[in-house]
Amino acid sequence: MAYITNYQYYTNDGNVPEDANWGSYQYVSLADIINNFMLMYVGNDKLINNVDRYTVLFHAKRSIQEINYDALRNIKVLEFELGDQLKMVLPHDYINYVRISMLRNGVLYPLTEARQSITATAYLQDNNGQIVFDSNGEVVIGESKLDILRQENRLYVGPGAYYNQMGWEYDGEWYFGYPIAQNFGLNTADANINPKYYINKAAGVIDFTSGVEHSYIVLEYISDGMENGDDSLITINKLAEEYVYAYLKYALLNNKFGVQEYIVNRVKKEKTALLRNTKIRLSNMHPGRLLMAMRGKDKWIK
Amino acid sequence: MINDVRNTVLSIISKDNRGFITPFEFNLFAKQAQLEIFGQYMFNYSNAINKQNARMHGEGYTDIPKNMAETIDTFSVFTSATYNIGTSKFNFPVDYFFLDKLVYNNSTEIEKVSHRKILNLVNSNLTAPTTKYPVYTMAEDGLLVYPTTINSNVTIQYLRYPKDPNWTYSTTALGDPLFNSAAATYQDFELPLDDFANLVIKILEYSGISIREADVVSAAKAEEVQDIQQKQ
Repeated sequence: MAYITNYQYYTNDGNVPEDANWGSYQYVSLADIINNFMLMYVGNDKLINNVDRYTVLFHAKRSIQEINYDALRNIKVLEFELGDQLKMVLPHDYINYVRISMLRNGVLYPLTEARQSITATAYLQDNNGQIVFDSNGEVVIGESKLDILRQENRLYVGPGAYYNQMGWEYDGEWYFGYPIAQNFGLNTADANINPKYYINKAAGVIDFTSGVEHSYIVLEYISDGMENGDDSLITINKLAEEYVYAYLKYALLNNKFGVQEYIVNRVKKEKTALLRNTKIRLSNMHPGRLLMAMRGKDKWIK
Repeated sequence: MINDVRNTVLSIISKDNRGFITPFEFNLFAKQAQLEIFGQYMFNYSNAINKQNARMHGEGYTDIPKNMAETIDTFSVFTSATYNIGTSKFNFPVDYFFLDKLVYNNSTEIEKVSHRKILNLVNSNLTAPTTKYPVYTMAEDGLLVYPTTINSNVTIQYLRYPKDPNWTYSTTALGDPLFNSAAATYQDFELPLDDFANLVIKILEYSGISIREADVVSAAKAEEVQDIQQKQ
């Protein structure tokens, strides 16, 4: 019997959204993983018995999270228009970024990360430099000078936004010495003409340097595959399915009292080998891709 | 089977005029014997599984655990659970002996969780109970299912106690009891024929104690020990 009819696949049985099943055959659901594992790997005559389903569920989710970080390459892309604050709130399922770009005039400009801080928390201070406290004894937070300068395009973060030259600011004006090519102090790690960003993890935002306000920012990032806690949406690529079973076996046996060490080592080796195998599978090394990449090897660098 | 068991018991007891047990006494002893044998099923099954894992049981006719599981399964009941609004719990079935599983919407198993773990589970971000992975705890007044939004469409699969055997009779002109299987309250043993000898031995034990006949008790005990040794 077919898992799903062609009509169901292409039109979702005529229901909205019609694209709900497109590409679904690549994936196996969390529910299937749990069910298959409990059926095939747990029992009186198996290595694992008397295990609670919630324990299996926990380790299954952890394995899916790990594979999302390590190998899955399920990159999500979010487009966001920046306001005057030059801040972009991190997506709710953000774990780490892959690339941040700026969309301007139909061109996607990759941005580089600022290696210096461009935002800060500022304590409110009185004229004598004393910290101001509120009635609860907490410090009153003021506006950061760093933030003000950044938003007013007066913060120097390296060459690029200031005519590609090194310089310094005095009374709101920028002054420059020599053209950049003649300056031996250039740090090439910062040499990028595009604006920069700084990921403020604690605040949950990405701060940008000036020059990108009202621009579209394209954030490519990875999540953990937990689909905002909706178990029915959690899936894993079939190329990683066997790894998840191996991870579950290892996690359960490794935490169980009285399991012989050689069994733990056996399943550990299986898990490690399958992780490697999964990474290779998911790295998608097609000959055609390699060929295109290798064509650059003969190009002369002038 | 109950009449055959009774006849066998009486013929052994009556030998050498040791004594007699009334139908009322027989029914009491029969109930006790059936419960005792039934309660032993789980331990025997567990032992058989251990032996099977040690390669001491084979396949086919030598698959003893399978045979035992079939006997136990004849007491398995699958029924809808009743939700009690007052306690916010599902009621226990009245005749349940062992709760096998709860099922939600005929498709999702509701897993048993101990009271010690339930708070951790409910507060866990990865494994908090959902309608896809529901759990339950047991208390004196019923079964509490999580998430607590589940208050219907729950079925229970459980092992029930065997029904109390009742040797029914009518009385002859001479005042003797005559077996009557057509009586409304008649109830045969629910154990398989395989346990015929066990039932006889157990009832003999109780009967021997009742009529203060040490020979009957010791003979029945000896039979029982021999039977256990054979099964091992």
